[in-house]
Amino acid sequence: MTDLLIKTPPRDLSLAGRNPGLVVAGQVSRRAARSGTLWGLVFGLFVVVQTLGYVSDYKTQAARDQLARAFGTNVGLNALLGQAHDINTIAGWASWRFVGILTILGSIWGLLTSTRLIRGDEEAGYYELLLAGQTTRGRAGVQAVAGLGAGLLAMFVVTALGTIITGRSASVGFSLGQCLYFSVTLVAGAAMFLAIGALTSQLASTRRGAAAMAGIVFGIAYALRMAADSAPGLHWLVWLSPLGWIEESRPLTDPRPLALLPVLVLLVASTAVTLHLAARRDLGAAAWPGGNSSRPHLALLGGPTGLAVRLMRPAALGWLLAVAGFSVLLGTVAESSTKDITGSKGVAQAIGRLGGQGSSIAAYLGLTFLVLALLIALVSAGQITAMRTEEADGHLQNLLVRAASRTSWFAGRLGLSCLLLVAAGLLAGTGAWAGAASQHSGVRFWSLVTAGLNVVPPGLFLLGLGALALGAWPRRTSAVVYGYLAWSFIVEFAGGVVHTSHWLLDTSVFFHMVPAPATAPDWSSAAVITGLGVLGAVLGGLLLHHRDLQNA
Amino acid sequence: MVTPAIRTEGLGKRYGKVDALADLSLQIAPGEVVGYLGPNGAGKTTTIRLLLGLARPTAGRAEIFGSDCQRQTVEAHRRLAYVPGEASLWPSLTGAETLHLLGRVQGRVDTAYRDELIGRFDLDPSKKVRAYSKGNKQKILLIAALMARPDLLVLDEPTSGLDPLMEQAFRHCVHEAREAGQTVFLSSHILSEVEALCDRVGILREGRLVEMGTLAEMRYLSTLTVEATFGGVPPDLAGVAGVKRAVVDGHRVHLEVQGPIEPVVDALAGTGVRELLSREPSLEELFLAHYGPGGAAPVLAASPAGAAGRP
Repeated sequence: MTDLLIKTPPRDLSLAGRNPGLVVAGQVSRRAARSGTLWGLVFGLFVVVQTLGYVSDYKTQAARDQLARAFGTNVGLNALLGQAHDINTIAGWASWRFVGILTILGSIWGLLTSTRLIRGDEEAGYYELLLAGQTTRGRAGVQAVAGLGAGLLAMFVVTALGTIITGRSASVGFSLGQCLYFSVTLVAGAAMFLAIGALTSQLASTRRGAAAMAGIVFGIAYALRMAADSAPGLHWLVWLSPLGWIEESRPLTDPRPLALLPVLVLLVASTAVTLHLAARRDLGAAAWPGGNSSRPHLALLGGPTGLAVRLMRPAALGWLLAVAGFSVLLGTVAESSTKDITGSKGVAQAIGRLGGQGSSIAAYLGLTFLVLALLIALVSAGQITAMRTEEADGHLQNLLVRAASRTSWFAGRLGLSCLLLVAAGLLAGTGAWAGAASQHSGVRFWSLVTAGLNVVPPGLFLLGLGALALGAWPRRTSAVVYGYLAWSFIVEFAGGVVHTSHWLLDTSVFFHMVPAPATAPDWSSAAVITGLGVLGAVLGGLLLHHRDLQNA
Repeated sequence: MVTPAIRTEGLGKRYGKVDALADLSLQIAPGEVVGYLGPNGAGKTTTIRLLLGLARPTAGRAEIFGSDCQRQTVEAHRRLAYVPGEASLWPSLTGAETLHLLGRVQGRVDTAYRDELIGRFDLDPSKKVRAYSKGNKQKILLIAALMARPDLLVLDEPTSGLDPLMEQAFRHCVHEAREAGQTVFLSSHILSEVEALCDRVGILREGRLVEMGTLAEMRYLSTLTVEATFGGVPPDLAGVAGVKRAVVDGHRVHLEVQGPIEPVVDALAGTGVRELLSREPSLEELFLAHYGPGGAAPVLAASPAGAAGRP
């Protein structure tokens, strides 16, 4: 019955788009630009609000001088945010404050964005489809890098708008050139870590691995920069750190564009290596050598919790090593960082403002432990994101269709995460003590161990918040935990100087953490934060129990 | 009374305004092999996710061997093994490690049978999952399910990605499972597979079960296909009792007949019929009959001669 066939006359095919060979660039640039615009908006608003806040809070030169005396000589803050120059001027204050904070946020955004859009998409199989179109691996690599560039450009444009609006106001008075150069330095961290993330996406076979590699680079860069700003004798270390190069560019006070030359070299070199590897490696494979077969190692494969230990082991060990190394470094430089300022009224004022008392070493460690709190909170966010990824990738389903319950999986994973956070806190305290003891600083072991435990509750709170998000809005889990972490970080580090309303400060989990060992840990406040985290986890568990399992 | 392997009562799942599954009531006895058919989006996977407790029903309830799928999920899971259509496994584990893990979580493994299955499916278990092809990942899930010798096998497109040889191996395993008294619930698009393996077949359409029965029952209720070739111009058979549809193609007539065939045979007598073929509908035809407009058989085009009868 050939007449059943529908005979259709041949038609001309219409073009689906003008440049079918540029689909990868379009895909990556659209998503990178969306995210870059959003974060550029955060950066721009931060600059506008904080600068105008400074101008209105410190109206007279005398008030600004007093601020400079309190914060400019504070070694702890200098170690955290970079060395302060002329912070009794708007230019000096803005340069120190914004470059210090936004470089960290931009760097983390950069490495997460590029590993998600390159290795994450490859892992999900999207590139297999795209590369079946009118392109090649090499061209797709170029397009992906160009797409990330579009995201960076979007971030720069929106950030620059914020700095221009602020800078051109009568009370501030920056030139257009200054505003643009300042904006370049604000997004330079994002640029470098977009490039580093793109490179590690070629080296690792999973997104998590690529992000961990880039995270290690960031950790080392930050530790070096911090050590460099902790003691005058160590300042040469600043040139070994990509974050140090940005600090040395001093955008508004003493512009040194040449300091950005290594940033440019790093961008060009890592992009070139990325494109070289992208064109030569197999799709889905890592350039970093790794075997595809091995003898079975059955330890820990007895159930969901053991499996979780096995899967999180490399990343957890990496984080613990980072925390330990960082805290040893903090302890080691504490003595030399504070010997010139012991008895300084400025330091005492700064610590007093944060509610603390004590020796200058304790004061220094009290402030720098904030960074350890941030690191531990990042561990927490990573754990929750990993739980969501297990569900989204369909791996969790393999367990739940067998004799494993949602509750036992959820409780097991959260329990392990809590153990990891406590271990990180203990390591932080012990490491800082070991470092301080090596310099005969005289800081007591127990005070640093409790200081280490003091930075754990914010991580536990974030874990609970993430668990709640996982139960209620599973597809928004990552956005909730990282968004809240960024918010808390901004509020804590910016709100302390500009007189922000108390309710706003209360929204930052770090604000509820006292700067131990500068002051004794406030265990009742820690218990409240931890209790809220537990409440979030219980609610999250209940919601998870009653909802559908949701893939990506 | 024997507890059914699967029992659902008015089971439904609604996503917003869309009924992904509505009012599903079915009962599958232990030892049965049941095929579950339907086009994409008909509700097959939704049914399976509800049976496994991965999704919460918006109406009705489901039981596996008497255990409520929502409240006694783990008890239900102890009696079953599931193979999804899309294998999503931990890339850093090897095949052997994955099988070990899944066996431990399942709670029971016939290790000798597992090793036999690894040989039958020609799997290299020393490779890491990330190095496996799609078909090899699917083999891991099949072996993991079969090696537990569960009372119920829930299979959702289990052979996607398998080559024909491995598909034969799979069919052999299902026959073995049936002989061992295991129940099999098989959702598949491969109608020949369902026809070859299943005792009963259920057909879903837009979230509703429109047909459930043995193939023999479904064929009895369905139309018989008759093809007649004539020496000259075929007679008009559209009005003959029982003829639901008649399509003329030159000297040939294709008839779909429901009920007794005698009126058609009587009408053909003395009409110069040279060749007469009749056959029961295949599962594919039964399936397609449910997916024409309004659930009727698809409209067939008339021949260029224009002598097409109308039901």
